Amino acid sequence: MSVRHSFLFPFAATSLLVAPLVAGCGSTLPPKELVDARAAYQAASRGPAAQQAPAELHVAKQALDQAERSFNDDGDSPQTKDYAYIAIRKAQLAEASARALIAQKDKEAAEREAQNLTLDQLRTAQKELSSTKQSLEKTQDQLAAEKAAREAAEKKAAQALADLQKIAAVKQESRGMVITLSGSVLFASNEATLLPAAIIKLNEVADALIKGNPDANITVEGHTDSQGTRQYNMELSKRRADAVRDQLISRGVAADRIKAVGVGPDRPVADNKTPEGRANNRRVEIIVEPPKS
Amino acid sequence: MRTPSCLKPVMMAGLSALLAIACGSSIPPPSDRLASAEAAARSARELGASREPKAQLHLKLADEQIEQAKKLMADGDNKRADLILQRANADAELAVMLAKEFNARAEAEKAQERVKQLKSGK
Repeated sequence: MSVRHSFLFPFAATSLLVAPLVAGCGSTLPPKELVDARAAYQAASRGPAAQQAPAELHVAKQALDQAERSFNDDGDSPQTKDYAYIAIRKAQLAEASARALIAQKDKEAAEREAQNLTLDQLRTAQKELSSTKQSLEKTQDQLAAEKAAREAAEKKAAQALADLQKIAAVKQESRGMVITLSGSVLFASNEATLLPAAIIKLNEVADALIKGNPDANITVEGHTDSQGTRQYNMELSKRRADAVRDQLISRGVAADRIKAVGVGPDRPVADNKTPEGRANNRRVEIIVEPPKS
Repeated sequence: MRTPSCLKPVMMAGLSALLAIACGSSIPPPSDRLASAEAAARSARELGASREPKAQLHLKLADEQIEQAKKLMADGDNKRADLILQRANADAELAVMLAKEFNARAEAEKAQERVKQLKSGK
């Protein structure tokens, strides 16, 4: 036994001295791979992976722990280097995974935005379309209303003309529509006072003028035959024209668009040598000017 | 409580498997690890790892390590082959993720370009 003891003792003593040295060497001089693995994990854990890829980061930590254990157990062995190598890759994977996820989220956000923008544009287009449609409908309504109004006015004017033609001679001339009333129908000889029948007739004329030509300017002309002095005839024709004008105004024709003139014998329409011709020359003309457009 | 006789072969098989694992000298060939490393490398290739330099580098490393592991397995060094395959797997999986990242970024840029177009009015 003593021999055996004496043999073992120095060995044990040497081991006790060497062991801490080995351990000390191992802990102060890790292989480059392990140093890199620690740095890689540190970088990953401080980056977006902590938020975006915690599971992958955990796997990387486990890989690093395995490398550390291997280093503690076996020191700077090929196996330790392998585990450190793997730990580096896992840390890189966690980082790549986080970046991929961020890219994915960026993509989704952009797609959502694109969708919203497309929707906005669609809505704007629809709004524009419907407002165009509305204004189109409005325009059509206006056109229809204008057409109806125009048709009504034309109908009214046609009716008024028809009414006039029943009571007087109506001609279209370049100076306008000329309504000719015989002097004998309106006045007694040499008088400028309207006969009762004439008042009724003139009222009908006034009604037709208001209905058919509410905006036209009107001139009332008195005409005589050539018998008697010209001055007398001028005065008589003027008084007769005034009487007709006043009657039209009293029936509702606007005073500011109607005037009366005496023409006397100056513009006969028939021969003054015959009684029929003279009768035709004795007349009142109501001229309705064509509307100025 | 006698063990049924029919279970005896199963127990024997389990015992021998345990013995085989416990015995370091006879580690079985790491076929599963080889298969998964090869599958990961294939995935990386399919995802277009060759289009992105970093992904391409790690795919290349994975391929090289897979070949190295196959040689080690042929020489019977299953223990070393197993570790090399773990390295290959880590590289292949990293190549997969880098390819995914590259693809996701490209798609994000495409979508952002579309937003820019929409904002510019056409």
